[in-house]
Amino acid sequence: MLNYLRELIKIQSVSGSEEKLALYIKGEMEKYFDECEIDPMGNLICHKAGEGKKLLFCAHMDEIGFIVTTVDDKGFVHFAPVGGIDFVAAAYSKVVFENGIRGIMVPEEGLKSDDFKAEKFIVDIGAKDKKQAERLVKTGDTFAVEPSYTRLRGSRICGRPIDDKIACAILMAAAREADKFENDITFVFSVQEEVGIRGSKVAAFRCRPDYGIAIDVTATGDGHGSKPMAVSLGGGAAIKIKDSSVICDGALVKKMEQVADEKSIKWQREVLTFGGTDTASIQMAAAGCKVGAISVPTRYIHTANETIDTNDAQACLELVVALAETKL
Amino acid sequence: MNRKTEGIDLLRALCLEFGPSGCEDRVADLIKENIEGSYDELIEDRMGGVVALIRGNGKTDKKLMLNAHMDEVGFMVREIRDDGLICFSSMMGPDTRIMAGRKVTVGVPERLTRGVMAIKPVHTVDRGDRDKSAPIDEIYIDIGASSKEEAEKYVKIGDYGTFESDFVQFGENGRMLKAKALDDRLGCALMIETMRKIYANKDNLTYDVYFAFTCREELGMGGVKCTAHKVRPDYALVFEATAVADIHGVPEVSKVAVRGEGGAVSIMDRHTVYDKELTQLILDVSKEKDIPCQIKKYVSGGNDASHIQRSADGVKCAVISAPCGYIHTASDVVALSDYESMCELTLAVLERMNENA
Repeated sequence: MLNYLRELIKIQSVSGSEEKLALYIKGEMEKYFDECEIDPMGNLICHKAGEGKKLLFCAHMDEIGFIVTTVDDKGFVHFAPVGGIDFVAAAYSKVVFENGIRGIMVPEEGLKSDDFKAEKFIVDIGAKDKKQAERLVKTGDTFAVEPSYTRLRGSRICGRPIDDKIACAILMAAAREADKFENDITFVFSVQEEVGIRGSKVAAFRCRPDYGIAIDVTATGDGHGSKPMAVSLGGGAAIKIKDSSVICDGALVKKMEQVADEKSIKWQREVLTFGGTDTASIQMAAAGCKVGAISVPTRYIHTANETIDTNDAQACLELVVALAETKL
Repeated sequence: MNRKTEGIDLLRALCLEFGPSGCEDRVADLIKENIEGSYDELIEDRMGGVVALIRGNGKTDKKLMLNAHMDEVGFMVREIRDDGLICFSSMMGPDTRIMAGRKVTVGVPERLTRGVMAIKPVHTVDRGDRDKSAPIDEIYIDIGASSKEEAEKYVKIGDYGTFESDFVQFGENGRMLKAKALDDRLGCALMIETMRKIYANKDNLTYDVYFAFTCREELGMGGVKCTAHKVRPDYALVFEATAVADIHGVPEVSKVAVRGEGGAVSIMDRHTVYDKELTQLILDVSKEKDIPCQIKKYVSGGNDASHIQRSADGVKCAVISAPCGYIHTASDVVALSDYESMCELTLAVLERMNENA
């Protein structure tokens, strides 16, 4: 799983530009699943036929980033955010473009952090004028803060983008156990989650599952100055009850908790008072389906140092496999 | 009366017609008359849209949908006062700067009345507020009635309204067009002209092509949602108008598009990341055929593409927008050359998609 994560982190996939990552994951998934196809929006949909209920797991491939709007006379690159960018976290970061060009994200000189917003930032790619810059980047190119993967003490790691490549890695690792699956299983690697849970909607419409389970990261209540929240780092796989986009199916939540207990998988309940995930769009696609979500507790989400405990991710992986192999 | 026209006359007729969001019937009728004889089948659209199909020759089972919205920004009658003045809710966003003194049309398709947007005279306004635009609840529509009873003969609560604004060609050699509702009657006119040309040569058409003239785009409610779900196209091309911000005083980096440099193709806006292949195909065709077009330089706005893209199991979408100055006012201004080049580019893109099929 962590080997997958390290690979996935290296492949940039800003919302709307996930194709390269989709092809990489597809290459791996084809080893374990019967059918793997990419739909009109770019979602990777992998199917392993089975006798039981139709169960769909979904992890989003896209990461937050930026898109070039224009280049000014000084050769500075102006941009718009793609997804929820915190510019305090992004200021003075190194960024990397899809074509490998590097730059630094810089606010206007003297700007107070309270006034940080996209219009006040540029990316300095080292070009000496507009002409030179336009040879390197053009309107519509996407880029992101540099990827990284760092081991902290014990079982904790930090880096970016953990959101939601850890979930992609979990599903890829789960696929290796495909022989044990009892249900009819679809893994969706979705696009454009960070810009408004767009891709999973059409993927779920296509698959019409009985049950849909999204895998994503969630905030924790145990960080420095965190809002009160029951989820803690190292507390196990978080089984979502609710976030601001979805109320999970009560019976499915109970089933997930029961399966986790039976397999002695460490778990905790999650009520997130903000944020949304693909769970919501899967629930309301076509005529609707019963949904739940498994979350990896994560500190410092959407910064360059998203931090997780790998034991939690391992618990999430075990829960995915357990649900796939339990007749629902 | 034969209302079938073409070129500038068609564009003029469409812009002058009354069709605020939710009340597009008159525009729909005008479009139906103009596409008569240029399609194989009309598809029922319960949201009030006009959807026409030109069948392909069966070489591919892929379906293509072209889309433009019929509705324009407008307002709705909220209350009729004892003195006969009318209070209204805006369906054009909160920008009241564009309202005072404007001529308007109020009513429903079969009963329309003229009026003006009235504000207090400046000497009765607090000094500090004189350079601010009046809030919406201090702007009234005066239809020339002297009492509530008289006004109610012509206007009812829930009636619709739009600006009344003439269609003017101005500038050197008439290079600019000014009208209300160029957003998006320009897209409608483009689709009508395209239908006529394609239908005349339909033997070469490989795709089934659906022409969807849709409702309620300006409210964001996407009448097109249901249309797209029903048609289930594989590809969709959306024809729109976009803000330009190419005016003096707007920082260089905030400029969206430039009038006169061709239709603007979007990579991403606030609601949609467009399909890369389809977008690239448009840019390639533009380059090869030497038909001007530009990339929209700002991530802003949104249009029916968002609803089409995420309908059913997903649709590959691209958008071409006419750069439009002062958009959503009584005076939308576009360059005639942009309209002409967009028409030309559309045909060339369809031809390329035909070849590729």
